[in-house]
Amino acid sequence: MTPRELAVLALVAGGAFFAFVAAVGLLRLPDVYTRTHGASKSDTLGAGLALAAVAVTFGFDLSSVKAALLVLFMFITNPTAAHAITRAAADQGIEPWTTDEEGEE
Amino acid sequence: MSESASEADPEAAETADDLRSYVESPIIMATVRVVSPFVFTYGLYLMFHGANSSGGGFQGGVVVATVMLMLGIAFGIDPLREWVGESTLVLVVVAGVFAFLAIGVVTTLPPFGGGFLDYSALGFPGASKYGIEAVELFIGVVVASTITGLFFAIDAGKEGGDNE
Repeated sequence: MTPRELAVLALVAGGAFFAFVAAVGLLRLPDVYTRTHGASKSDTLGAGLALAAVAVTFGFDLSSVKAALLVLFMFITNPTAAHAITRAAADQGIEPWTTDEEGEE
Repeated sequence: MSESASEADPEAAETADDLRSYVESPIIMATVRVVSPFVFTYGLYLMFHGANSSGGGFQGGVVVATVMLMLGIAFGIDPLREWVGESTLVLVVVAGVFAFLAIGVVTTLPPFGGGFLDYSALGFPGASKYGIEAVELFIGVVVASTITGLFFAIDAGKEGGDNE
């Protein structure tokens, strides 16, 4: 295995791990605020790492520049989208989940 | 714009205030300011590359329309609607359709004598590539303004329809 293959492997494994964490967070967390919190952070990192793996795979190429730009815009827009969703939810008067309520599980 | 609306109609002012409490987020506004030129450029890129790679007028038009959606979400949909003007939007759609037809018909005119959308009849090098790109551009214009209009229509429906 060349060092580049190892780097790609590590990046893809990290990306898959964080995407898995985001999926678990989306399924298991109780309300919209905790779900956006869990999904936005780890999914941004998961997709970012996967795209970084794409960029490393292509090497010094126009395609890797495009992948790097995708990572950049993913890091800008994904948290903003989560912010917008949470803000809209707060504006609609959705109460945050608290431990005072009866736990479902 | 909302100031003049508040003087004209107290009820409209109240809805504008309701919207503003949600709309004015510095984070969303700053992000939209940074991202929208890039998104717009990317939409044009998709339109012009429909001839020789993935993309095309429809996808590019949707991406360009996304800019309008982002502006609406960040700065308020009603100010954006006033700024664009609904009649302007309809005019742009119609103009795009007619531009498409005009490009198609030009190739059938006497000096060229080809078929409808038969670009090679124009007889300059790369005519078919430029012809496809021009058609894609106008398809993109039509798609972008149609989707912007649908966005406005959906927004108008949230107050029970029939506003403006």
